[in-house]
Amino acid sequence: MFLTRTMPTLLAFLFGAVAVMIYYVPHTVAQEIERELSLWLRILYAFAYFLGLYSILNLHWTRISRREGGWAYSGVAIASFLVMFFFVVYNDGAGPFAPQATAGGYQWMFTYIHVACSSTMFSMLAFYIASAAYRTFRARSSDAAILLVAAIILMVGRVPVGRAISEFFPEAAAWLMEVPNLAAKRGIVLGVSLGAIATSLRIIFGIERSYLGGGEE
Amino acid sequence: MQWRANRIVTLLGVAVLLPVVLSAQAPPRASAFDTPNDAGGSITVTWPRVDGNETTNHLVYIATAESGPYNLAAEVEGKGAVLSDDPGNYGRGPEQDATHFVHVSDFTTADGRQPLDNDVTYFIRVAATRDGMEARGAITSAMAKANFINWAKMNNFIIGTALSLIILLSISLARRKDMFIRRIAGLEAIDEALGRATEMGKAVLFVHGLREMDKISTIAAVNILGQVARKTAQYDTLLKVTSYDPVVMSVSQETVKEAYLEVGRPDAYNEDNIFVAGTDQFSYAAAVEGMMVRERPAAHIMMGYFYAESLLLAETGSQTGAIQIAGTDAFTQLPFFVTTCDYTLMGEELYAASAYLSREPRMLGSLKGQDIGKAFLIAALLLGSLLATAGMPFITHALAAH
Amino acid sequence: MDLLNIDRRIIFVFVFIGVAIPLMLDFSFPIKATEPVQRVFDEFERVAAEEEPVVLVSFSYGASTVPEMQPMALAILRHAFSRDIKVVAICLWPEAPGLAQQALAQVASEYGKEYGTDYAFLGYKPGLWAPIINMGQDFHDAWPRDARGTLVGDIPVTSAIRDLNDFNLVFDLAAGDSIEFWWIPFGVEKYKFAFSGGCTAVMAPDLYPFLQSDQLRGMIGGLAGAAEYEHLMEIPGSATAGMRAQSVTHLIIVAFILLGNAAYFASRRKVTA
Repeated sequence: MFLTRTMPTLLAFLFGAVAVMIYYVPHTVAQEIERELSLWLRILYAFAYFLGLYSILNLHWTRISRREGGWAYSGVAIASFLVMFFFVVYNDGAGPFAPQATAGGYQWMFTYIHVACSSTMFSMLAFYIASAAYRTFRARSSDAAILLVAAIILMVGRVPVGRAISEFFPEAAAWLMEVPNLAAKRGIVLGVSLGAIATSLRIIFGIERSYLGGGEE
Repeated sequence: MQWRANRIVTLLGVAVLLPVVLSAQAPPRASAFDTPNDAGGSITVTWPRVDGNETTNHLVYIATAESGPYNLAAEVEGKGAVLSDDPGNYGRGPEQDATHFVHVSDFTTADGRQPLDNDVTYFIRVAATRDGMEARGAITSAMAKANFINWAKMNNFIIGTALSLIILLSISLARRKDMFIRRIAGLEAIDEALGRATEMGKAVLFVHGLREMDKISTIAAVNILGQVARKTAQYDTLLKVTSYDPVVMSVSQETVKEAYLEVGRPDAYNEDNIFVAGTDQFSYAAAVEGMMVRERPAAHIMMGYFYAESLLLAETGSQTGAIQIAGTDAFTQLPFFVTTCDYTLMGEELYAASAYLSREPRMLGSLKGQDIGKAFLIAALLLGSLLATAGMPFITHALAAH
Repeated sequence: MDLLNIDRRIIFVFVFIGVAIPLMLDFSFPIKATEPVQRVFDEFERVAAEEEPVVLVSFSYGASTVPEMQPMALAILRHAFSRDIKVVAICLWPEAPGLAQQALAQVASEYGKEYGTDYAFLGYKPGLWAPIINMGQDFHDAWPRDARGTLVGDIPVTSAIRDLNDFNLVFDLAAGDSIEFWWIPFGVEKYKFAFSGGCTAVMAPDLYPFLQSDQLRGMIGGLAGAAEYEHLMEIPGSATAGMRAQSVTHLIIVAFILLGNAAYFASRRKVTA
């Protein structure tokens, strides 16, 4: 109980309060503390990669061992990982302790498999946005009509063909971005920032403990 | 007559040329002090601005002993900065407008640039130079120190403290008094979605966003998950939860387990239903889309911070005919969710959702505190804009970030 | 065919044709730089006029956004190298190092730039915004070695860099949170250095408030922004070519939207009649 609840809450308070105070204290002592905290953060994030790796391998191995639906794909996932890992360690003949080679099997697979597949997935958005736009941009109400007109102006104005049709489109698109969009974004940022302050306060003072998992105490 | 004419010409010449000679060579009355609000290693040197003197440059010399040797630390062109250019440290006013300054943090020696040390007395001399002539002012001294408080950020500290106190007091008040939250359509729809899934005998799919556990949106999503889990435990509906981050998965597992325990259905809890679907953005999207299409859950609840995969998830989900409820504070993804989901919680509605569903005093109070803070900001923006337009920018100055 | 409910596969086919065919043809539309892109260009020109200019370029994007971000990276590197601006490249995104190395190697060979003297690549560091805080305090402490293992103190282009303020400009190529949530709050606000950035098109609306407050000195948004930058550089590349496809596809989507609305209003008239 102490280690799973009280200790994390105390640590959250300690580090949270120190991090807030550092912002207002320019002294070299505060800078040193900030430097240490940021270095620890970097180390934690680096170890989080190991945690993520273990989690994903464990997930797929469990699927394989239980022969769950689609377990063959889990086999492909683990095999792909092992092949990539081999080439990372091999490092085009230089070994794992040398700087990463700019050529070799790993770079080839990264460029011609990973980049290609990831870009393809990202490019699917073009198709989905087209079908979503067609289905939902209907002038059912005055608000929807305004949204529709703004969307058309921006879609035409943000590409060179808009300027070829008329100077109105790029200028109107720029105005939409610099005035209504900016105002809306700023309003959302203010609200979200207040939410962030409130949640951070709750975490620092131990009022919010959902990040520890579990229900109420 | 000749003698008198010569005298008049001489006097005229002196009257015309003397200001020029004097202004070019007048030694500046400099002063030096520790640069405020810093970690040390810097001294501020000031001298008065002389109107019409923009072509005169100033050289700042520094030495560790009064007798020298003096080394060049800074060269400032005529139109140098004035104190009012740095209002956070030096304030505003006619005196600040009429005083030049430079921060000196190192000086040139034969061995290169040497930084200033703290708690060491340095001797400073400012020289005015023009047309090759130089006039050196009196020597002054100062010591660089590391400051404990950044007074330039006091406005930030006061406003932050005030907001924090408002929020904490609201939380305290909420424990004693019931607080009203307006109806949020998306949250009412969660009950409808869960009921639909139960009737159809199909699963509910809860999809986490892509951010880590320390992010506000993820915390809000986990809170909503807790409420959803309670209801699915009560209705005996299958709940599947996908995560992008292992820590979020662990917290989600604990949250769902606790929820099932609370309603007396620990037997129905299955840890394998809460898992990491992928740790890469589009791998995660592909895995979740595959689940949506193969397993056809009746309801999709997508809560958290999403990136480009939001449209992939929501559009695929809409094709399966499931009821979709999304909640995100990702400004750029809101349009995609709004167009493809049945209900969307926008921005802070996601944070308010925790309070709305649980009715917990700490959540309600926190929300109220945020609303009060927002009211204050709106008032400051309106009043500040009006006053600034009328030439009275004191609210603008009071809220300026330094 | 019901125009109110066109099968989405038909829409997909039109989008595919709208992207594929223009890429195979050779035509162009006039490109003019928008104000945010012009500001980035002007910032690099300002830096070029300074003595011994050095720019820090941060690669914060991954494999999925290569088509959008890589042309942008190539354009700004070409600008820097053509004006003899030295470049120090870092990565704050785990997938970025390979992409950064490719971009640097390609552009450096175009301009005959030498590693170490004209540019350096320091690799990737985890920690999201934490490396930015470290760089603001002590650059050599934050990045002790480059990607080849050489101490940064021994590399001519980085040896004199003490902290972020020693760079004439910091430029971030962002596909995620890095500009809004890392560089601006933990970098620009703390250390007050000149900062500019490029981002994906979907993120560009998010960054306009920072453009107005001058925390971001210009922004290249998406492939269109990269094409505008190529136009300013007078070196057309893949972004300019991509504008053909993007222009036609946008028109196709607008056409479908108008078609859907026409069908919607026609159906409403039928109902009321």
